[in-house]
Amino acid sequence: MPYRGPRSTLATLILAAGLIGAAAPSQAESVLTVGMTAGDIPVTTGNPDQGFEGFRFVGYNLYDSLVLWDLSSADKASDIKPGLATSWEIDPANKKRWIFHLRQGVKWHDGCPFTADDVLWNLARVTDSKAPQYFTQQMALSRTYVTNFESAEKIDDSTVAINTKVVESLFPYSMSYLLMVSRCRAEELKYDWNAYAANPSGTGPYRFSRMVPHERLELLPNKEYWNKDRIPRHDKLVLLPMPEAATRAAALMTGQINFIEAPAPDTIPRLKSAGMQIVTNKYPHNWPFILNFEHGPMTDIRVRRAANHALNRAEFVELLNGLATESYDTMPPSSPWYGHPMKYEFNQDKAKALLKEAGCVPCKLTLAISTSGSGQMQPLPMNELLKSQLEAVGFQIEFKVMDWNSLIEIARSGVPKYPNIDGYNGSRALLDPLSALIKPVWKFHWSPAGSNWGHFFSQDAEDLITAILNEFDADKRLALLIKLHELHAEQALMIFVVHDLNPRALSPKLKGFVQAQNWFQDLTPIEVMP
Amino acid sequence: MINLLIRRIFYAVPIAFGVSVVCFSLVYLAPGDPLQTILPSDASAETIALVKAAYGFDQPLPIQFLKWLGRVMLGDFGQSIATRRPVSLEVMGALHNTATLALFAVPIAFSTGFSMGAIAGCFPGSWLDRLLTGTAVIGVSLPNYWFGIVLVILFAVEAMVLPATGMGANGSDGFSIFRWADARFMVLPVITLSMVPIGIIARSTRAAVSEVMGQDFVSTLRAKGLSEPAIIRHVLKNALPQVLAVMGLQFGYLMGGSILVETVFTWPGSGFLLSKAIINRDVPVLQGTILMLALIFVATNLLVDLAQSLIDPRIRRT
Amino acid sequence: MPNTMTLPTSMIEPAAPKQRGYWGSVGNRLRYDPVTVFFGLVVLAIILAAVFAPLLAPFDPYKESIIGRLKPLGWKGHWLGTDELGRDILSRLIHGGRVSLLMGVVPVAIATLVGGTLGVVGGFGGRKVNTAIMRTMDVFYAFPSVLLAVAISGAMGGGATNGMIALSMVFTPAMCRVAETATAQVKNLDFVEAARATGAGTLTILRYHILGNVLGPVFIYASSLVSVGILLASGLSFLGLGVKPPTADWGLMLSTLRQSIYVNPVVCALPGAAILITSVSFNLLSDGIRSAMDVRM
Repeated sequence: MPYRGPRSTLATLILAAGLIGAAAPSQAESVLTVGMTAGDIPVTTGNPDQGFEGFRFVGYNLYDSLVLWDLSSADKASDIKPGLATSWEIDPANKKRWIFHLRQGVKWHDGCPFTADDVLWNLARVTDSKAPQYFTQQMALSRTYVTNFESAEKIDDSTVAINTKVVESLFPYSMSYLLMVSRCRAEELKYDWNAYAANPSGTGPYRFSRMVPHERLELLPNKEYWNKDRIPRHDKLVLLPMPEAATRAAALMTGQINFIEAPAPDTIPRLKSAGMQIVTNKYPHNWPFILNFEHGPMTDIRVRRAANHALNRAEFVELLNGLATESYDTMPPSSPWYGHPMKYEFNQDKAKALLKEAGCVPCKLTLAISTSGSGQMQPLPMNELLKSQLEAVGFQIEFKVMDWNSLIEIARSGVPKYPNIDGYNGSRALLDPLSALIKPVWKFHWSPAGSNWGHFFSQDAEDLITAILNEFDADKRLALLIKLHELHAEQALMIFVVHDLNPRALSPKLKGFVQAQNWFQDLTPIEVMP
Repeated sequence: MINLLIRRIFYAVPIAFGVSVVCFSLVYLAPGDPLQTILPSDASAETIALVKAAYGFDQPLPIQFLKWLGRVMLGDFGQSIATRRPVSLEVMGALHNTATLALFAVPIAFSTGFSMGAIAGCFPGSWLDRLLTGTAVIGVSLPNYWFGIVLVILFAVEAMVLPATGMGANGSDGFSIFRWADARFMVLPVITLSMVPIGIIARSTRAAVSEVMGQDFVSTLRAKGLSEPAIIRHVLKNALPQVLAVMGLQFGYLMGGSILVETVFTWPGSGFLLSKAIINRDVPVLQGTILMLALIFVATNLLVDLAQSLIDPRIRRT
Repeated sequence: MPNTMTLPTSMIEPAAPKQRGYWGSVGNRLRYDPVTVFFGLVVLAIILAAVFAPLLAPFDPYKESIIGRLKPLGWKGHWLGTDELGRDILSRLIHGGRVSLLMGVVPVAIATLVGGTLGVVGGFGGRKVNTAIMRTMDVFYAFPSVLLAVAISGAMGGGATNGMIALSMVFTPAMCRVAETATAQVKNLDFVEAARATGAGTLTILRYHILGNVLGPVFIYASSLVSVGILLASGLSFLGLGVKPPTADWGLMLSTLRQSIYVNPVVCALPGAAILITSVSFNLLSDGIRSAMDVRM
């Protein structure tokens, strides 16, 4: 009694529809099969869950946003570029009004044209609880990116204006995280979002083919994609959730799949000897401890600096078989916002002296860490190393070890609810200036309302942030952002440990993958050799 | 017989109700937020409150329970918070995959275990008996998830003759046990799963056989001059019902209890679904899966009980 | 595995009244049972190793070494190699026994106490009390044991304490049934009737006649649960629902070492072997005691 849901028939239909435009079957089908670290298939109804991995493999493949990320180069820091909007500017008369010029001639996977109305409709879908297309799940998944959204209006068929609540020069970055779904398809399905999930339609470089819930998602190239350079160069993309590193490695070795995310450092030698390509690149990620500025020893800058001087980061890199770089600041040196920050070299004497000066001997810390989690690298071994290094200079570390979801709960609630936790180990995505530099130090983002977990406050930071949000000249804004980054370092805002190098392992048969310095990646240029 | 049937079913109803209370309240023991999965990690308190209200998690518990129970009675287990798919669909799909393994593991375990136990029971005290009984003890003491890992090391990592995990190229959707490309994915999990039942069935067969061997009718048969194989046939026939009951229970256990083995082999069955629901705190899936599995277990027990009374009227209890 | 937790039918049979020299004959039988004696000694050795772990372990089980990670057997005095953090496996196995044994034994003890008491009360008490207790137990008994253990400890967020609470809840109903059956059967036996006729109070009857005859089956059943407890506890840790790292625990070691399966497969298999040896020894010891104490043989 094989179990079949209605999805099978649907999927078959779509598959058949997709095949009409497919290549001649003279050659064997070239399939790119990816082992993701996610525990499940990210949702397909627009903004995905499963963190940035969901955006990387499902979100930006099925859908586009007004603003996209430039993922074409491995050598330079990745920034935003035009997406469904060809350009945008601030209204010279009103600093809270953004004008977006829309790309013409774009078609949804279902064949309907992409219009200005679609943009307004998508914004209402996650902000206006009275709109028929309003969808709680999507509201929850996109709300972070539309907090500053006030209203939108259509200027003409190819132009929309978006009004923000406060002046924010960085607003286009937020728009890069709001994926646009097809109004045509949603109306055809009478706003049944479950049906939509099984039959999604976007404008992205891939179109939906079929899904086996929890197990696999199959996408086919969108041959009509508006960016002809990004039409996928393989016949099929298959995405498999494989949360265990050993499982991913096994599947790659036995040829079940040909592209894996985050192989465990220990498996790399074996993968290499089996001929696999290991690709790494720096990207805006860091693995720090986020600290408590309301209570406890971390309120003293000398203690924070002592902790940073206590770490021998080279040992972390060695522990990770070289798959990380040492981190002394929020951003890696390759970032345009890096500047000339203070550097906390490994110096145990200095650390001990600072602790003594601060009168914190032994300096007891309670730190929350997770056993695993997205972007957390190898949390247990790394934290045990961290503990031994901190204790060597006079700290006394007590870890609260928990699963990833419990750590998220702590991260979300902040110091008001957890005053006795001196810091937590949460990896950070440093893609856009707002989340990388501004939120962690801004009073407006004090937890639980935002992501300034430890309630950091400094008037200098507030002034800089105000200046940044009001600065619409890119070069001048860059100078201010550098200053803010230097402030992070000067304040020893976190215990900085390492930046991940984002390893991936690819079958030797894959060609053409360029690993951008980004959390997102472009899979379209990959060719699968027979 | 009808009376017994009605009585047993009647008896199962309050248990099923109790089971549903346990399932429902289990989830609310949980610290943290049931809506964790769909909220981004930096969601604000305001967003969380909004979403909570939208999902009905802001109502008092008894109300939530009654609403849930009412829907469950109609076969609606709600929908997954993470995937928004109906829980019943999720569980049915997973159960199908679990049953695929169990339907192979149980016959293998039964034939192996029964032969082992029968041979051991017919020659009590012999070296063969000791060898087989010893093997059976290892079976019941085996951490089978570890055994699964050992098999993976031997056959997937070192010899590379069998796949390590998963259900094959098409996943459960296109899985066919008649296609070797798919069926080879089942080999290691089925062997792993059958180890413990082999031990249990062997042990209970041996106990049953040696018990029957000690009964008067065997000596009567022997006195009548019946040949040894014929006597053994009689003995096995008498021991069979008890062993069949054990096998039935093992099937129930395998349907609900293979969470560890499914985790080792990433087999998308009911146990795997459950562990995923725990990690994601997907409340409706957690409740629905546990409830369905427990009810299946209750039903299997009921069936075994009835079947046993049918076969052997002596054990018909009141 | 937990599905070994079937109720042993032989045990629910009424035990014969205790006679003089009973324990003597049990001891006698045990003395001539080399298998039980041997595994009894193995169990003793495992317990002693756990108790005196700090004295026995050649290395500090929490001392990491970056260069000495995942080394094979015998590397630089590490007889059983090192784990993913360069910690000595042998020392961690010895220390791990402490948690693994504790997590297996404590729930059995709690269940024996709670379940046993409830069972005696249910068996001795009136019909209403019996129904109330036994029907509640039936509800918990309706779950497959692994499922219940995983569900409870998973719902409560894992951790050693929650794991032990979960396992106690798994074992209690079974224990209660054994005690209830034994009590109910002893209650109606002649010698209890006789005691009642001579005017003995309920408490006296409970204390001298019932308990004496219920403890045997309860004890034997409890001893058979220890191995199940150890298996289940390590299973919970393996799923990440038991002990939290970096605590040394067999199930947890198995789960973390599994990630290094390609680097050093032999080392990965060791914690499971420890679980297997312990569980086999407890099982055989319990079997031996059971047959030695079974006066009906």
